[in-house]
Amino acid sequence: MSDVIRLDKLPEKVIIPMRQHDGIACAPLVKKGEEVLVGQKLGECEGSDLAYVHSPFCGTVESIGLMPNPSGKRILSVVLTPSECTQSVEFVPEKNASPSRLIQIIKEAGIVEYYEKPTYLALKPEKRIDTLVMNATFPLITHAYLGSLDKVLKGFSLMLEASGISRGVIVVRADDKESIKAFKGAVVDGKPLTIAPIIGKRHADYYLEDIDDRIIVVAAGKVTYTPTMMNLLSADVMGRKVSLGHEPSDVHIVVCGVKSAKAVYDAISEGKPYLENAVTVIGAVNKPGAVIVRFGTPIKDVIDACGGYKGEPGKVIVNGSMGGVAIYTDEAPVVKNTTGIVVQTKAEVLQDETTACIHCARCVDICPMNLLPTRIASYADMGKYEECEHLYAMNCIECGACAVVCPSKRHLVQLIKYSKLQIHNICAAEAMEEATK
Amino acid sequence: MAFTVSPPPHIKEGVSVKKLMWSRFIVLLPLCLASIYLFGFPALGNLVAGVLGAVFIELAIQKTFKQKVTIGDGNAVYLGLLIALMVPPAVPFWLPFIGAVFGIGVVKHAFGGLGSYMFHPALATWVFLKLSWASLMVPTSVPQLGSLSDLILETGAGFIADASPIAMIGVLYLIARRYIEWRIPLMYLLTTVVLVFLLGDPLSYVFTGSFLLGVFFLATETSTSPITKNGRLVYGVACGLLTVIYGYFTGNYIEGTFYGLLLANAIAPMIERSTVPKPFGGVEA
Repeated sequence: MSDVIRLDKLPEKVIIPMRQHDGIACAPLVKKGEEVLVGQKLGECEGSDLAYVHSPFCGTVESIGLMPNPSGKRILSVVLTPSECTQSVEFVPEKNASPSRLIQIIKEAGIVEYYEKPTYLALKPEKRIDTLVMNATFPLITHAYLGSLDKVLKGFSLMLEASGISRGVIVVRADDKESIKAFKGAVVDGKPLTIAPIIGKRHADYYLEDIDDRIIVVAAGKVTYTPTMMNLLSADVMGRKVSLGHEPSDVHIVVCGVKSAKAVYDAISEGKPYLENAVTVIGAVNKPGAVIVRFGTPIKDVIDACGGYKGEPGKVIVNGSMGGVAIYTDEAPVVKNTTGIVVQTKAEVLQDETTACIHCARCVDICPMNLLPTRIASYADMGKYEECEHLYAMNCIECGACAVVCPSKRHLVQLIKYSKLQIHNICAAEAMEEATK
Repeated sequence: MAFTVSPPPHIKEGVSVKKLMWSRFIVLLPLCLASIYLFGFPALGNLVAGVLGAVFIELAIQKTFKQKVTIGDGNAVYLGLLIALMVPPAVPFWLPFIGAVFGIGVVKHAFGGLGSYMFHPALATWVFLKLSWASLMVPTSVPQLGSLSDLILETGAGFIADASPIAMIGVLYLIARRYIEWRIPLMYLLTTVVLVFLLGDPLSYVFTGSFLLGVFFLATETSTSPITKNGRLVYGVACGLLTVIYGYFTGNYIEGTFYGLLLANAIAPMIERSTVPKPFGGVEA
């Protein structure tokens, strides 16, 4: 936790995309040449799935246009030339606010969950919810926030208060000793936190019944639950399986991240909108570690803060080497849904040739969803999407484990994703036909 | 700066088809050495003839049809060696050569090449040789049945693979590394041992080099066995059952292994289709 750097050096140019999560794009509120302050709202939008965009920097608007984005696409962004000034809009902390007011503040602050859903929507799913689960299973990200753990826990309590959920569960990896130690020393509601292991059928419920704490920490397995692994998270931690087409909220669980808990604290206790995040940088850089970065900072500057590239960089991957996007330029900015950057050298870049499937079943053994990846992929390749559906292609969580272990180096995930898209299209077409009858 | 853009995942396990095939080949080498020690020059000649035949026909087919030459992936070499291991040591050299040409040319490539064949090329070849040159394919002496010390160095002739069952010990490393999956060999062994015990045949009848070759290398051939987890368990049981049925009624567990496995290959797709697992979390209601 000591190796967290705060990136204070001003970048030459800041690119603030008007859409930083998988939802509605905002319309820019500023014009070219305008001066903006720290925390000023840059993007406004209407709809249900929105996250307002604020300026983390003080500076002049240089241009507004399509700019590179870590998603690999070009997205409408406000480009700022930041200045040394630290003037900000007035940050008003809130005290003793009502739950609906808290939700309102969270919405205004533009906080987004790690799984691309705005926090204000995630906390209020309009269903009966009994548990708020905080996913702290990304060790490097969690470590970055251990220094301000009290704020994270305060933010988590505020989230419970805002949503009216009675109890909270913080999930850490069982092998993440550092985080477990830090949580052991933490105090919530005047009491130390209880750390409970998940063993067999003893899920979080088992401990929550025994202890009258509002928040407990559970150490669950050695899995990092990525955004697509909601189903596994709720099954492993709470013992509740989510069936296809449903969300954890259907089994009375809401999931949040460590980052959003910290952001909620900032928004409510300090009045600050969502302006910065911890981003982990690993791979071929001189000083790998976590950096606290303001949104809009180009990835290039983040890598410079980590000592620059080690050797000749071949690939820069945003959000993990299992399912992340390899970006074509390091000018792309860090946005709200950026969690990690992986740098590979030219020598590390994989150059494999796909060969025929030898039916070794390594993908079957590794699949967390119990699917037959090779069969689905083969049918997808042949265009037999109905067969893919019969083999439960839609249950695929696109974790990429099958492609990692494939000795024939087939593009299993891409083929399965493609079949899912086609199945979706077929279903939509059928629904249209039904409707026109 | 130019960066590579490619689809995820960006890291992969260092396992390739090439590695799987060559590691199996290497694990079979001690057995070959034992057979050369025991049978001398004829065994060496036969093994080389088998490998050469396999490489020759694969090269010829891929050159003729202007396909990519895949000798390097080791599959042809490995299959050629298996075919040679399944003939008696005293046969003329052209026999394993012809066998390998048939196995690679017809059973592998005519059915679509690597990963597409429905019968194990080595098994189908053994049956082909057995039917075509029945007199040559009979070992000059059967392995001395009755003593378990034969597991270390076989005193009878049998097939080349019967030379030294213990020399196949390296397969345990492959299973530990998961290059060979444990479900099929385990169920196959268990089923055979239990059935043979129930039927009252001495176990030493069964534990020959050919049988262990069948358990660890022929039954586990990935293209001809089911890919589902439960399917592999069922397939192992089916292999054991078919082996013992043939072996019990003919008294020849070596041939029982090969014929039984060939039949098991035939039912593998059916086993797979009937054991498709339900996905985690269930399906949409």
